[in-house]
Amino acid sequence: MAVSISNLLKASYKKTCLMALFLGSSALATGCASTAKGAKQSAMVGMAKAETLQTQAPDGSAMTVIRYPAVVETSAKQAYYAAFENSAIGGGAAKSGDAAERESVADSVIVKSNYFALSLYKELAARLPEHTVLLSPHALKLDENGELTSEPITQAESLPSVISVDFATYSYPDAGKMMGDKPLTFGDLVTPLISVRADHRAQASTHGLLFASTPLIPYAAGKSQQDAVDSLSVMQKGQFDRSVPELDFVSFLTKSDRSNVPSKTLRGGLADNVVTAYPIEKIKLDGVALSQLDTANDGSVDPLERVFSDAMADNIINIVNNTDTQKAVMANKAAAIADYDPSLAALTYVGADSADYNARLRYAERLLDAERKYLSVQSLRVFDGIHNGEMGAQMRDMIMAEYEVLEERRKLARKQNQATAFAILGAVAAGASIANGGSSNNCGDARTQSEYNNCIRRAQRTNIGNSVLTNLAVQGAMVAAQEAIALNQRSKAIGSNYLSSIVPALEQQTSVTVDLLDSSETITAIRYEDLKTKLQGLYSNQQRSLDVVATRCAFGLENTATLSGTWMGVCEGGHANGVGSGVFKKADGSAVEYYGYASQGLPNGSGFMIVHEASGSHALEGNFVNGLAEGPVQVSKAGQADRLRTYRAGQDVGAASSSPLSPFNPILAK
Amino acid sequence: MLRPLIALAVMAAPYVMTLTASAQTTQAPAPQVYTDNTDVMISRAMRVAQDNPDYCINAMSDFPTDDPERRYQFFRLSEEMGRDMTDDLRAALDEYGDEEVPPGSSVLDVIENIANPVLRQAAPRITVSNMAYVIDFATICEPFISGQTDSLVAFDASLTDAEFNAVIIEDALFLRQILSDTLFRLGANEDLQYSAAVAQYAQSLVTTRDEVEFTTFESELGNLEALYMDDLDGRLKRSNDMINEEMDRETLGDAVALSDSLMKAEKKKAKERQLYSLIRILGGGR
Repeated sequence: MAVSISNLLKASYKKTCLMALFLGSSALATGCASTAKGAKQSAMVGMAKAETLQTQAPDGSAMTVIRYPAVVETSAKQAYYAAFENSAIGGGAAKSGDAAERESVADSVIVKSNYFALSLYKELAARLPEHTVLLSPHALKLDENGELTSEPITQAESLPSVISVDFATYSYPDAGKMMGDKPLTFGDLVTPLISVRADHRAQASTHGLLFASTPLIPYAAGKSQQDAVDSLSVMQKGQFDRSVPELDFVSFLTKSDRSNVPSKTLRGGLADNVVTAYPIEKIKLDGVALSQLDTANDGSVDPLERVFSDAMADNIINIVNNTDTQKAVMANKAAAIADYDPSLAALTYVGADSADYNARLRYAERLLDAERKYLSVQSLRVFDGIHNGEMGAQMRDMIMAEYEVLEERRKLARKQNQATAFAILGAVAAGASIANGGSSNNCGDARTQSEYNNCIRRAQRTNIGNSVLTNLAVQGAMVAAQEAIALNQRSKAIGSNYLSSIVPALEQQTSVTVDLLDSSETITAIRYEDLKTKLQGLYSNQQRSLDVVATRCAFGLENTATLSGTWMGVCEGGHANGVGSGVFKKADGSAVEYYGYASQGLPNGSGFMIVHEASGSHALEGNFVNGLAEGPVQVSKAGQADRLRTYRAGQDVGAASSSPLSPFNPILAK
Repeated sequence: MLRPLIALAVMAAPYVMTLTASAQTTQAPAPQVYTDNTDVMISRAMRVAQDNPDYCINAMSDFPTDDPERRYQFFRLSEEMGRDMTDDLRAALDEYGDEEVPPGSSVLDVIENIANPVLRQAAPRITVSNMAYVIDFATICEPFISGQTDSLVAFDASLTDAEFNAVIIEDALFLRQILSDTLFRLGANEDLQYSAAVAQYAQSLVTTRDEVEFTTFESELGNLEALYMDDLDGRLKRSNDMINEEMDRETLGDAVALSDSLMKAEKKKAKERQLYSLIRILGGGR
């Protein structure tokens, strides 16, 4: 009987807790504990069909760079902790616990990001061509204004890449809420923060942002917009855009820029000109893999693979398949080629069909490929050092230790809930007993003295019985409540003790990570510089001269009288005249960037134009006459699928039935 | 780049002369097989070669036989010299050539004559005829030449080395460039009938030169890559190993032990508190 009641209580403790709430028993209700549950697998599992890669990275380019927070510079620690506390995902003020506890959570986010980013790297490297996936660990640091930012530790982002993937893990800053429904990366739970972007030229309407965790979207979009504006300023000065954006995780923490972009849910699949929003989810690691984790000697067991990384990698392949790779890499590729051949670089935005150009481009691309392969060796070694080395082994030990702590707390939470249920049932029973004992036994109806005396004796016996029962119920409820409170305190103490005990291990992980990345970068950079010098020598020894070279000259948009913009490409008489790229800022603050053919300083011929206005950015691709769109044009606007429209003198006059000219397609270029 | 082969040709001359003399007894006329279509050209060449086996055997007989590498060089050189030939250009060679090279002439002698700067300055039309002779040989005997090169490669796979082959292609380019320059000297580029073919041939030389240079570049770059990447990989691996040694996994063990100990202390304390509470509750709060 006792067993069945216990089982009944176990099964019904949730209902009982709700009842307690209903009854207004607030003290008991706070004793209801969550067991830190997680989703069995990411929402992405089953969403993204495993497509094969249908595109190739343009020559000289990587396919994906995975960026993640790897270390926090000492000078930036306090700024990071403060920003982390003030940007809690999941709402509420995150101020419980002592500062050391919160710092421990913030540090563990970095350490875990370092480790779990490699799971995604492994999956992408297995799906994409060899040497096309690079790792770019970032250091969180203070910029010249003392603001928190991040910079890549390695050279991985100096090369063009079709997309970049920002990865971080996240935990709610308040460790006291670890067992609740807040995001958590601890033990067998992981909360990924992710964003995928291309260069803004590949999807101007969202400034290049393609996919992102929901809380990151406005800040990642804001930062992307700011980066796009900055790149125009650079191009206006006749320089190549070499900017490397800070991590979206950092933009989210600092909340420095914000922009609204249209987004859609994960369920609807990928679409043009919107950002796919990935919800925050607390994912439970693969139980089978987890059980093998402590016996694994290397990183061969990956508990994140089946529940997240595998599906995310599939999703990234789909994103790559839907990305215009040419537009995605053209700016960074031109910047990288400029290191070898400045007079060729600006011609590569849209290309040329002359033999001398193609011969030189082939050499330059081959050199970029050599650099890419070289940097990919560094990525492979970083992966090997962290994932398969002692650091990875310690991380797996740490996950198992955390898992045990979490399981202990879950056990306590279950006990606490049982105790809470007992307390509530005790309180209810006491209430019922009091109610029963309080009911009047009316002996006034006795017809004889004897009946009256018997009635009084029965009533006294019942009251004594009720009193004993009531006392027992009240005491039982109090004991159970006390136990629930004690269990809750113990659970919190376990979490707190663990976080304070683990600090030396986290510090060691951090310091070894710094050593590994510093050493890796130092070794690579010295040899890389040496290699680049040799490559430059090889290039200049082999090159034939270019018949037409790229230079800098004047560019305008609407009439030749105001050629105040900058053109980098083929010039004649000081004006744009041939292929290249132009930037023009209007008096109203809007700006235009243009890639394609020009004559007399104005867009003339096939071209790709991005218009940046206060309300947002949009792109036009087609034919231009004296700076104005003319004929069939592909229009890309935020929140809308790409459309074919007919333009006359720069005005949209209706739908178009034929394909527009494209400067990127030699057949449709002229 | 032709220097080694030219020198070789000169050194081999006495030996070649002997072979040529014996070959002259079985000489065959050189049939014409050119077309713009490469596939058709090869199939026609095969038919011609099948019809004229003696012609090819004799022409090939003066190639070095004592060294597979040198033998391969000559076959590949002949093959490359026949590249990018069209019916129109072949007709131009007839038009601007002086006279036919005597059938059965040694291919090595002919090559030597093409490379001879005095001869090509003094008698450019003979140079054109010499090139036509080698080109005819390369085209008509293509099945035999490729059969020979395949056999030699089967014997020594290192003969396919890209750098080694690039040198041969450069040598062929040198000779083909002589032909192109000679045709320009003779005014074939302004001849309405042949100007297009001559211009196309000149352009094909540029393309081939680009290819050769890129192959050389690729080869040098490949060596550089292999050197640097192996070196980098080794250094990074050693560095990783050293840094891994820094990792003291006992730190985590100590942290977890401390946490466990605190957990046990907390459990004990909680039990004591619970017992005290129980007594207090059951004792009616006294």
